[in-house]
Amino acid sequence: MPSPSRESVRERLLAAMPLAVLVVLVLVVRSRQPSFLSVPSLRVLLESAAPIMLLALGQMFVILIGGIDLSIAVLASFGTVLLAKWLPGMGVLGVLAMLVTLSMAGALNGFISAYLQVPSFIVTLGAMGLWSGVALTVSGASTLPLREGYDAIGWLKDLRFVEIPASGVLALVVVLVTAVLMRTLSAGRALHAMGLAERAVLMSGGRTLRLRVLAFTLSGLCAGLAAVVLGATQFSGAPTLANALLLPAIAAVVVGGSAITGGVGGPVRTLIGTLVIGVLRVGLNISGVDPAYEQVVYGVVIIAAVALTLDRSRMKVVK
Amino acid sequence: MNESVLQLRGISKRFPAVVALDHVSMRIDEHEVVGLVGENGAGKSTLLKILAGVYQPDSGEIALRGRPRRIRSPRDAARAGIGTVHQEQSLVASATVAENILLGAEGDAVRLGLYRWKELNRRAQVQLDKLGLAVRPTDKVLKLSYAQRQMVEIAKALHVEQRSDNAPVIVLDEPTSVLEGHDLETLFQQIERLRQIASVIFVSHRLNEILRVSDRVYVLKDGACVAERTRADMRIDELYQLMVGRETSGEYYRENEQRTVADARELLVLRGLGKRGAYRDVSLTLREGEVLGLAGVIGSGREELCRTLFGAEHHDRGELILDGRRRSFSSPAAAVRAGIGYVPAERRLEGVATGMSVAENILLADRSSASIGPIAVPSWRKRVVADWIDRLHIRTPSPTTDVSKLSGGNQQKVVLAKWLSSARLKLLVLDHPTRGLDVAAKEDVYRFIRQMCSRGLGIVLLADTTEETIALSHSLVVMKDGALTARFDATPGSKPTEVELVERMV
Amino acid sequence: MLVVVFSSLSDQFLSAGNFRSIAGQSAILLVLAIGLTVVILLGSIDLSVEGVMATSSMVTVLLAANDRNGMDLGYGAVLAGLAVGALFGLVNGLLHTQLRIPSFMVTLGTGAVGIGIATVLFAGQPPRLLDEGLRDWSAQRWLGVSRLVFVAAAVLIAGYVIQRYSRIGRYAYVIGDDEVIARLSGLSINRYKVWAFILSGTTAGLAGAMAASQVGVGDVQIGSGQVFAGITAVVVGGTLLSGGRGGVLHTLVGALIMTVLTNGLILVGVNPYLQRSFQGVVIIIAIAATAWNQRHRIRVIK
Repeated sequence: MPSPSRESVRERLLAAMPLAVLVVLVLVVRSRQPSFLSVPSLRVLLESAAPIMLLALGQMFVILIGGIDLSIAVLASFGTVLLAKWLPGMGVLGVLAMLVTLSMAGALNGFISAYLQVPSFIVTLGAMGLWSGVALTVSGASTLPLREGYDAIGWLKDLRFVEIPASGVLALVVVLVTAVLMRTLSAGRALHAMGLAERAVLMSGGRTLRLRVLAFTLSGLCAGLAAVVLGATQFSGAPTLANALLLPAIAAVVVGGSAITGGVGGPVRTLIGTLVIGVLRVGLNISGVDPAYEQVVYGVVIIAAVALTLDRSRMKVVK
Repeated sequence: MNESVLQLRGISKRFPAVVALDHVSMRIDEHEVVGLVGENGAGKSTLLKILAGVYQPDSGEIALRGRPRRIRSPRDAARAGIGTVHQEQSLVASATVAENILLGAEGDAVRLGLYRWKELNRRAQVQLDKLGLAVRPTDKVLKLSYAQRQMVEIAKALHVEQRSDNAPVIVLDEPTSVLEGHDLETLFQQIERLRQIASVIFVSHRLNEILRVSDRVYVLKDGACVAERTRADMRIDELYQLMVGRETSGEYYRENEQRTVADARELLVLRGLGKRGAYRDVSLTLREGEVLGLAGVIGSGREELCRTLFGAEHHDRGELILDGRRRSFSSPAAAVRAGIGYVPAERRLEGVATGMSVAENILLADRSSASIGPIAVPSWRKRVVADWIDRLHIRTPSPTTDVSKLSGGNQQKVVLAKWLSSARLKLLVLDHPTRGLDVAAKEDVYRFIRQMCSRGLGIVLLADTTEETIALSHSLVVMKDGALTARFDATPGSKPTEVELVERMV
Repeated sequence: MLVVVFSSLSDQFLSAGNFRSIAGQSAILLVLAIGLTVVILLGSIDLSVEGVMATSSMVTVLLAANDRNGMDLGYGAVLAGLAVGALFGLVNGLLHTQLRIPSFMVTLGTGAVGIGIATVLFAGQPPRLLDEGLRDWSAQRWLGVSRLVFVAAAVLIAGYVIQRYSRIGRYAYVIGDDEVIARLSGLSINRYKVWAFILSGTTAGLAGAMAASQVGVGDVQIGSGQVFAGITAVVVGGTLLSGGRGGVLHTLVGALIMTVLTNGLILVGVNPYLQRSFQGVVIIIAIAATAWNQRHRIRVIK
């Protein structure tokens, strides 16, 4: 048995690592491109990181309870299609309707996973197929431009707070509000507890089924917010617009130090993870790496980060 | 001189909180059936795990025919000729009988990674024939009855003789606990058959069975081997005394603190409660401040009954009345809201939330005392947690320490604090509350049980030993095969004896 | 039953030509689903199939006669495609067993790596397969059906032999059924797990090469939707996702059901995009149904 002190040293190192990685990455990128820390390039970074940040936040809720949501990016794509369909007629109401729809789609995942006791990766894999099919059908498999009613979300692109675009600010605010809520609410650690010891929570009278549905609902809601940001910045909705963001979002969560086994992690860590991924993208770009390698990098980063953060003492049998 | 097939010399094994085995020595001769008896926690299962190569002893040695031998893995155990039939069945349901018997020891029935089914089945048949079993090697295990599976397990255990240079020793761990009537007779016949070709270690808590099949018997108590008797001088009542006898009982269990509850309010009433395949027609009453002991062996239905009280299972007949209201809990959460708490036997899995702090664990069941509505108030929280750490003397470096770093006894106190800190708690189900605890921690738990009673809580107790059940309870019910077979009043001075209780259990 | 429903809805459905096309369509799906079956028997999962197919299709096309470079290895190119798949499987298996990372996570990552490698090889323009011999495998017919059907049949037989007669296959059931018993019986679990992933990777590699032969190009998107279809076929066939039950013959039935379903829906006139939705619903229903009697109030599933 390892001594407690060694364990806690390991924990502390792991907790500090994402931030250290971020700092090192920033320094490396800056040495290559001194203008990296300038306001315009940071603005671009934040703008491009905003949808990933929101998706990662949604993913984080599910990973915290020890599950995974593979459908989150497809849901966001579906969200942009719904925006394109609903904004012209309904305006701001259309945005709300889209957020509600996606939250319900997320809740459906949670419901199936919790009440039918199906592993989350397979439920969300199924949901991925379901909603991408629906998105393709609704949009006729084409990109729909967002013109009429765009004003309802256009401020996200145009409005600036101290040179920072509103989309980035929105993402930051959502992450920070979540962090504050999880600290102040008495049930704020309930998701962590689920991930760490679901049986014990269940046997202490915790409503684990509802918590599970809640985590997936929040995931759907975040997918909706990401869809709003994407719609605003891309001026369009498309059935596969956000699909490529699934891996960076998962990578952001695990790089931030959340364990895939559940119970460890939080919004701030996810924020750091997102920034790491964002800076990494910029860095690869500056170094002249072919963007085609991006997927390879995400794949490797995910596996490496999971291998580092995994709490193996919690898994007797790894499937 | 004829050396024993297997000898244990001064085997000791310590776990963090307890000494599981303390210089245990025993021997098994060829063609001998040796009984091993002891209460839960006496060290039987640790001893068997050492024989099976799962645990290593801290000191002492195992000798085969006088020659010391290390058993470091299940494979070593097989090579030493020791085959174990585990209490929980260990056959692979989706594979065939032949595959199971030869699993991991196919020899050249598998060549170049390819199965030669004829050869495999032939070899399995040889083992089956030795026991005269009627199952076919090609049968899928999932199609066999429980008793048939057990016979296949014996055949599998016997297969160690193919790999070993030693005469086989077959360990049967509580093989009779779920068998009845005809199946039980078949098992005894098998043991007689085994005697011709092997030596047998027979572990059971049913003394009459031990008496019937064993040539010699060892009694384990608190990790030590306290007696050895041959067939000629085995007497059931003496064995019983050796197994359970303890001088200190009354004081140890604080029986003088047991209060009378005859005129207290009725808290829980069960009327004809039943669940198909688990228990039937259970009627009983529990008053405020009363400890109700539930006695029974595995499979008697008492576990299921407890889980029903806690909402983890559903009864399909009769009624459950708590505090005058008819209830049917849809989930543990519903039971908790109605004022029921549960201290599970699986402490590390279901009791404490490992990875969470002591403070978070204490507030896991009811956070209302440390928050205004949904908002947590850190200062209240600190106060409530400090208060309970103090009241139950929980020894922890700080309230924010990960609960899994505490000792077993302190973890159990955290579990108790979790329930006691809840204002709505009326009834607590204690499922083996002292399992795996050392003596001091056990005494603490006994003290808390008495204190909880004086607060008017009702307690349903499934204890580790019958002695514990009797000493702690105000009244006792015995379950067997899903039905109540007896009720006893357990007021100090007129408590039933353990023999009386055990007679009704088996 | 599906056959009856669809034949009542569409006259074309029962035609011999349609049955031939069903056989042809199911060939690739069946091949990859057979490898997947072994992994699922273990209770694990392989989500890297699409990435492996993409890379393998690119490698196969680029090593056979093509319009991009001067290579012309003929069948050697197919072997290379298989080897790529086997290599992915080996990496999956080693990462899963040695680093003890859950298989879905490992294969999600390696799948992305596969897509990435294919994208790099793709370089903006799909390389066209010019090797007539390889093209013929999908274009030419034997006994009225595409030759790929015979490839699938051969893989099915090989899969059955592995499942029935090899340690890899037999131990997959044992490990999937109860890994603890397997460990107590002294099996080297990790070795057999790695083999299962190698099998799955190899069949995915073959499926990639087959798809390249069929479409005539190497493509990043060539395996698009196949993870999904593959898992659905395996599960609909009756193999439990929790491991230990099922087999390749079940998967044959599952693959045929899925293909008939897809084929029938197209003939009945359902929007092709909704097919995907349909599969998504089928996969969830199939798994919920097979796991239904294992449900318990206090069971924990992640």
